[in-house]
Amino acid sequence: MKGILVAASVAAGLLLAACGGTSSATTTPATGGAGAPTPPAASLNGAGATFPAPFYQAAFYAYNQKFSQVTVNYQPVGSGAGIQQLSKKTVDFGASDVPLKTSEAAAMGGPDKVVQIASTLGTESLAYNLQGIGDGQLKLTPDTIAAIFLGTIKKWNDPALKADNSGLNLPNQDIRVVHRSDGSGTTYIFTDYLSNVSAAWKAKTGGPGKSVNWPVGDGASGNAGVATRITQTPGAIGYVELAYVLQTKMTQAQLKNADGNFVLPSAAGATAAASQYLGTSPTNFSIVNAPGKDSAPISGYSWLMVYTDQPDKTKGTATVDLLDWLVNDGQQYAVNLHYAKLPSNMVANDIAALKGVTSGGSALLKVSS
Amino acid sequence: MGKGTAERVAPAPLVATSRQRRLISGDDVFRAVAFAAAALILVIAAIFVVALIVPALPAIARFGLGFFIGRTWDPVRTQFGALSAIYGTAVTSVIGLLIAFPIGLAAALFLAEESGVRLLRGPLSFAIELLAGIPSVVIGLFAFFILTPLMRDDVDPFLNHTLGFLPLFQGSPSGYGYLTAGLVLAIMVLPIMTALSRDVIRAVPRALREASLALGATNAETIWSVILPYARVGITGAALLSLGRALGETIAVTMVIGNRNEISASLFASGYTLPSVIANEFTEAVGNVYLGSLFYLGLVLVLITIAVNVLARLLVWRFTGSEPMAT
Repeated sequence: MKGILVAASVAAGLLLAACGGTSSATTTPATGGAGAPTPPAASLNGAGATFPAPFYQAAFYAYNQKFSQVTVNYQPVGSGAGIQQLSKKTVDFGASDVPLKTSEAAAMGGPDKVVQIASTLGTESLAYNLQGIGDGQLKLTPDTIAAIFLGTIKKWNDPALKADNSGLNLPNQDIRVVHRSDGSGTTYIFTDYLSNVSAAWKAKTGGPGKSVNWPVGDGASGNAGVATRITQTPGAIGYVELAYVLQTKMTQAQLKNADGNFVLPSAAGATAAASQYLGTSPTNFSIVNAPGKDSAPISGYSWLMVYTDQPDKTKGTATVDLLDWLVNDGQQYAVNLHYAKLPSNMVANDIAALKGVTSGGSALLKVSS
Repeated sequence: MGKGTAERVAPAPLVATSRQRRLISGDDVFRAVAFAAAALILVIAAIFVVALIVPALPAIARFGLGFFIGRTWDPVRTQFGALSAIYGTAVTSVIGLLIAFPIGLAAALFLAEESGVRLLRGPLSFAIELLAGIPSVVIGLFAFFILTPLMRDDVDPFLNHTLGFLPLFQGSPSGYGYLTAGLVLAIMVLPIMTALSRDVIRAVPRALREASLALGATNAETIWSVILPYARVGITGAALLSLGRALGETIAVTMVIGNRNEISASLFASGYTLPSVIANEFTEAVGNVYLGSLFYLGLVLVLITIAVNVLARLLVWRFTGSEPMAT
C-alpha cells in the first residue's frame, strides 16, 4: 500500500515536471529507487572529451529513461573545446580527460570556483599488427615501450624485444609507430606513462601533453583512426583505448606493470591501479604505472567540471543530481562499455566535492547515497 | 456623370507619374540592394581577414617570420614552426598537378576537338562532372582503404625497384605519405584541370585551326604547333587554379599524408600539410600561442592560395577575355 502511494506521488511529481513545473517538483521525495532525490525538470548541456563520450551518452540516455523530466545533451567536441565552452558558460558542465591546468582554472575565476569530479576510468592497450602473433602473445616492458616510441628500437626482431618474447618468432620487419594526430586525453595518459617510466622520453619531449612532438611514427585521427591504421598496416603498433581494442578485436600486448607482472589491460586492471592512489585529486591525478600485482599500467581518470556557484538553482540541482547518479548507479553503463568502475574511494571524493556546489549560498546536493 | 469624367481625366497623369516614380524608386531600391550585397561581400572578407589575424597575433609576436623556417612543432614546449607543413603542402600539390596536368590536358583536347570519338564524349563529360562532385571525405575513404594498401604493396615497391637510385623513391613504403597524398590530389583536381582546359581550347579561333589543316598539317601537328601555343596562357591559368584547389584540400589529404611533422626527401615518407595540422589540432589547442600558431598557419595558407588564385585568374582572363583582339 505504501509502495503504491510512493509510486503515485513519484508519478505525480513526474507529471508536474513534465507539465513545466520546475523547482516546485524538487522536493518530491523518491524513497523507492536508488535513494537519490527526484531531480527537477531541466535540460542540461555538456561538452568536452571524446574518450568517455560513449559512456556519457549511454548513461545520460538511461537517466532520461529514469527521469523523463531531465534531458542531457553531450557534445563530444574535445577536452580543450569543452573547457572553453564551460569558461564561456555556454554549457552546464564540461568534460576533460585531464583536470584543469592552473591557467585554465584561473580563466574561470580560480580553482575554488570550479568543482571537478572523476567520472570514469579508462585504460589503454598497445595494439599491434604482426602476422602469426596473436592476441596477448607479445610482451612489452616499460623500457621496450619507451624505446619503440623514442625510435631507438626500429625492428620487431630487436634483441631487447626478443629477450622478453623468447617463445615468439619476431619478424625482421620495420616497426611502424602510430599515434594520435589530434590532441587528446588518450595521448596525455600515454605520454604521462612514458614520462613516468623513461627519463629519456621526458628529456626528449618535455613531458606529458595532449599533443606532443613525436620522435617517431605517423599520426591518425581519433581512437578509431589509430585502430584502423594499425589493422591496415603490417608491422604497426599504437596506443588505443581498451574499448576500441575489444570492440574491433585487435591484438594487444601484455604489459609489464610496476610490480613486474605481465598483465593484459582490462577494466578491472584499471580499477586496481586507481585504488592504489587514495589521495587522487584534480591536482594530483596521475595513476600511470601503478603498483599492485593486477594494475593495468596505462590508466587514467576522466573528469567532469561544474561551477561551484550555480546561478540557476533548478539547473544547478539537476546537474548535481545527475553527477551524483553518474558516479553511483550510472557506473553500470561504464562497465558495459569496457570502461572501468570508479573505486569506492574516488566515489566518496566525488560526492564530497559535489556537496560543495552551491546556489545562493546553500548546498544543492541533498541526499548522498 | 460629371464626377465620372472628372475621375476619368484625373487618373491618367496620376497613373503615369506614379508609374514613373515607382520605376525610379524600384531602380533605386535595386541599386541599393545590389550595392549592399556587394558591400556585404567586402565586409565579410574584411571581417574574415581581421578574424584570422587577431587570434594569430600572439604567435606572430612570439615567432615572427622565423615561423616560416621553423621545423619544430612542439605543443608541450610551445615551440612552433610551419616549414614542415609548408613543405608538405607544396610537395603534395605539385605531385598532384604533375599527374593531373598531362591527363587533364589530353582529356580536354579529346573533348574539345572535333576528331574525338563522339560516342565517348557524353560519358566522359558526365564522368568529369561526377568526379568533381564527389565530397572529399569520400575520396579520402577510398584512398585510406583502397589506395594506401595498393601503394604499399605494389606501386611504391615498383617505383623503389625501378627508380630507387633517386632519393625520391628510397626508404620503406608504408602506403601513406607525400606520394599517396599527391595522387589523391591529382584525382581531386583532374576535373577542374580538364574542364578549364577544354573551355580554353574551345576558345581557340576556328579559323586558325582550319588554316593549319588547309596547309596540310595533320591533326596532331595542328594541336602541337597551333592550338597549344595559342592556348598556352589559358592552360597555365587552368593549372594554377587546380593548384589553388590542391593547396587547401584538407580531409582527404589528412587521411593519407601520415601526419608526421618532418621534412623528408623520399616521397614514400610521411609528412604534414598546412590544412591537416589545423584540422588535427584545433580542438585541443589550449593557450594563446598554440591556438595563435594554428591561426598563423591558416593565414599563411590563405595568402598562398590567394596569390595562386589571383595569378591564375589573371592568366585565364587575359586569354579568354582578350580573344577578339588576338584575332
